[in-house]
Amino acid sequence: MRHQRRYLPYLYLAPALLLFGGFLIYPLIRSVQFSLFEWDGLGASEFVGFDNYVELFTDEVLRAAFGHALVLILFFSVLPLVLGLVVAAILNRAQVRGLGLFRTVVFLPQVLAMVVVAVAWRQIYAPDGGLNTALRAVGLDALTRTWLGDYTWTLPAVGIVGTWVQTGLVTVLLLAGMGRVPRELFEAARLDGAGAIREFFAITLPSVRGEIAVALTLTIVAALKTFDLVYVTTGGGPGNSTTVPAYEVFQRAFREGAVGSAAAIAVALTAIIFVLNVIVNRIAEGRQG
Amino acid sequence: MITSGTERALNYLILIVFAAFALAPIVTVLAAALSPQSAAAAPGILGLHPENFVDAWTEGEFSRYLRTSLLVSVTVVSVAVVASILSGFAFGTMRFAGSRALFYLFLLGIMVPTEAIVVPLFYDLRDLGLTNTLWAVALPQIAQSIAFGTYWMRAYFRTSPPSLIEAATLDGASPRRVLWSILVPIGRPAVMTLTVLAFMWTWNEFLIPLVMSPNGEFRTAPLALAIFKGQHVQATALLAAAAVLVALPVVILYLFAQRSFIRGMLEGAVRE
Amino acid sequence: MNRNALKISTAVLAAGVLLAACAPGSGSEDPPSSEDREISTDLAALGDITLTVWDQETRGGQDEQMTQLNEAFMDAYPNITIDRLSQSFDDLETTLRGALTGDDAPDVVQANNSRGTMGAFVGADLLLDLTPYADAYGWTDRYSESVLAASTYSADGVTFGEGNIYGLPQVGEIVGIFYSRAALSAAGIDEAALTGGTWADFTAALASAQAAGQVPIQLGNLDGWPAVHVFGPIQGQHVPADQIAALGQGNAGASWLTPENEAAAAELQGWVESGYFNEGPNGTDYDAAWASFGEGTGTFLIGGSWLAADLEAAMGEDVGFMAPPPAEAGGQRATTGATGLPFAVTAQSPNADAAAGYIDFITSDDAMAVLAETGNMPVNRTAELAPESGVNADIFAAFGDVSENGHLLPYLDWATPTMGDTIGAALQDLIAAQTDPAQFTQVLEDDYSAFVAEG
Repeated sequence: MRHQRRYLPYLYLAPALLLFGGFLIYPLIRSVQFSLFEWDGLGASEFVGFDNYVELFTDEVLRAAFGHALVLILFFSVLPLVLGLVVAAILNRAQVRGLGLFRTVVFLPQVLAMVVVAVAWRQIYAPDGGLNTALRAVGLDALTRTWLGDYTWTLPAVGIVGTWVQTGLVTVLLLAGMGRVPRELFEAARLDGAGAIREFFAITLPSVRGEIAVALTLTIVAALKTFDLVYVTTGGGPGNSTTVPAYEVFQRAFREGAVGSAAAIAVALTAIIFVLNVIVNRIAEGRQG
Repeated sequence: MITSGTERALNYLILIVFAAFALAPIVTVLAAALSPQSAAAAPGILGLHPENFVDAWTEGEFSRYLRTSLLVSVTVVSVAVVASILSGFAFGTMRFAGSRALFYLFLLGIMVPTEAIVVPLFYDLRDLGLTNTLWAVALPQIAQSIAFGTYWMRAYFRTSPPSLIEAATLDGASPRRVLWSILVPIGRPAVMTLTVLAFMWTWNEFLIPLVMSPNGEFRTAPLALAIFKGQHVQATALLAAAAVLVALPVVILYLFAQRSFIRGMLEGAVRE
Repeated sequence: MNRNALKISTAVLAAGVLLAACAPGSGSEDPPSSEDREISTDLAALGDITLTVWDQETRGGQDEQMTQLNEAFMDAYPNITIDRLSQSFDDLETTLRGALTGDDAPDVVQANNSRGTMGAFVGADLLLDLTPYADAYGWTDRYSESVLAASTYSADGVTFGEGNIYGLPQVGEIVGIFYSRAALSAAGIDEAALTGGTWADFTAALASAQAAGQVPIQLGNLDGWPAVHVFGPIQGQHVPADQIAALGQGNAGASWLTPENEAAAAELQGWVESGYFNEGPNGTDYDAAWASFGEGTGTFLIGGSWLAADLEAAMGEDVGFMAPPPAEAGGQRATTGATGLPFAVTAQSPNADAAAGYIDFITSDDAMAVLAETGNMPVNRTAELAPESGVNADIFAAFGDVSENGHLLPYLDWATPTMGDTIGAALQDLIAAQTDPAQFTQVLEDDYSAFVAEG
């Protein structure tokens, strides 16, 4: 637009910028500041420099928590992406009826509150809950576990909840991207005698790069802010085998009176999300941005 | 496109398997919600116990919590959507100094997890005497929705045909008229999707209301569910019924708006 | 996103830190000291007041007594309205920190005796010193010294067990062994020999129960803390009571790194290896475990007396209770036990007189009778209010016996602000054989000694 007054854009920006700056950017800066102090949240505080950050590397529980977060990314992001790609590619090859209904149904887990999801899955994973009952019904008694009290299986069990929530979102995104690929491309490939697999790698996959980046961005953030899921299902247990940074932030800040340490974890978590997203977008763009 | 019968059968099989995976936990909860509360319960209607919903509703005081949720969600959505339309319009159609840097700041905001801001927000708002008010619960979520909303609306305004704006401007329409009389009506799907998303996030948010309202005055429905769980954990049927009550408003909104919502998601998600 | 964005955001953040506002914690001011205030015990003359009370008395009998006492209080003092918020123990622990430091804190709260809760609040001047009221109402005559000591801290919150009184409990608590009479007879275990016997008799009974195909002990340890109540009695068998007291109160001069503590951990782990627990205790919900026991699955349930009302409702005559037996016949019994959560008054409360009067009311001799009627164990008049029969008769007797002739040991998670989490996770690790007894005691020692060193 030409002939506009110079300050006009800033007027339009002002409400958003004030609210966003005051209640997101400013608290984030305060978090960085808090993370340099030791404070119990009740009395006086003490400046300790980078001690809280050193603790991220020296404290075994915290190191484990960040490790668990990375495992959860596999379940929240990578697994839904693989499943979504396969399903979307197959569905995209043929006109099936009921695709609209299917989209609505698979997206449904996305819209439920994580607390509701956690309550549901906690019942499914209970020792005589739905999952074990189903396993016994088909004679797989050997596979029954106490899913939320097992050092090997609890973290994957929590992860599968994430897979359940995110797969629909990823599938719907990818279906949309593939739907935009001109049909002629596929026709031509078939005439050239390309099979389904080659068609997928030559045409389908490159054309949904952007969607993959968006899907990964959304699901990685979701994987790293799993506070409510862990809070309701396991409380970080058994032992510390399912504790995650988001849960540690809450515990330290509001239960144990280690506010500085909580802020340091939160800042580190933000940095990790940021770096992962930069990497994802670089790969998706396939060029130097 | 011609596909073989096997391929079609395989397609339907995949559709059914995935839909079943998505629905199974939801069906489990619904079944649990309609099951008897204890072995000694009355037989119920056709073996079902819809009275569980009534019991959960009264025992968990859900009418109060759902009202709070509604108040918070409507506040957040209305403020955030209007602010996002204004900022998206500026970013999408105007050129000004610092626009790039500011836009990246908003992008950064999308990636900031709630955990990273909740600790100082709590202490600062407490010192301002705002904890246990609507504003402590709503303002941080407004900021989060604005971050995404700005990005979202900018994408829409950037793809709006320049000729439209040019023509209107030549006719002497002010930027304000261009925005509210021309662009927003055309962009209804984009605004609709943003509204539904922001409503969903706010309705489902757990950490902010948990921390910002320690005395429970502004407890929203998901929180009430977690607390309900602490009190009635052995009554699986009641807990499941409560979970259904909490989820229902969002599910209804989603099903009601799903057609345009999913279309908006598909059109708007990837455009840079 | 690109490199510019990274540069810009880093610059913004760096600038922000340089310009940051005041350091955390400097915004709070100290509340006025309570020492020079005139106190009043004439509640009717206080005018119209609404008292906000936060408790965690959510289970059946507990909720009932609170409701009854609140109504009786409002009948006695029509000018005072009780606004009650009841939430589970965990939820209360979560919200209390934020609530007490806010502007509209509740008047009366149930604050855990632990250092992480009451100790931290006392240190930050968030709770009112109730000593003046104790003198006015005669609480020191009403309560035994050891009970009051559990809610007594020095004014700076450093010493636990000496100084000012900050709260009053309503109920006594004792951790012991619930058993099912039907299961005992099915396994051929003689009840009288068991309850009058020794620790060795009890462990032999576990083996018999298992041989009879029963689940010897029900444990729901999904949340980590329930196993602390199983470990407590075992530790009481091995470790001298004064050492456990120091470890539990987080006072200096004890150590987890002793052969006795290791032996206690080894015994618990041995129970797991022998298959004495239900399938996967770490994945079982606490309430689900006692509910299963109530439905007839399980011989024993090691837990707190607060479960009595619910278990009796489910099992009736079938449920019995005993304090953990002594090591030698006729010896002293030692087990975890203390009082319920004390009711305290917040430092900010504008209604301190009414709040203290309320606490006086719900812990009075008459209130003790209401507590007993609703199936709770009153902390005072325990023996005279004991019911004729039923599981509560056993519990009242056990509490009387242990508090007079034996050792009531503090809850181990009182010791440090982080000990609840530490010991919960450590016990889950121990039960799952992720760690051995030596590693277990080392984890606890690290937490305890770090706190004592800061002291």
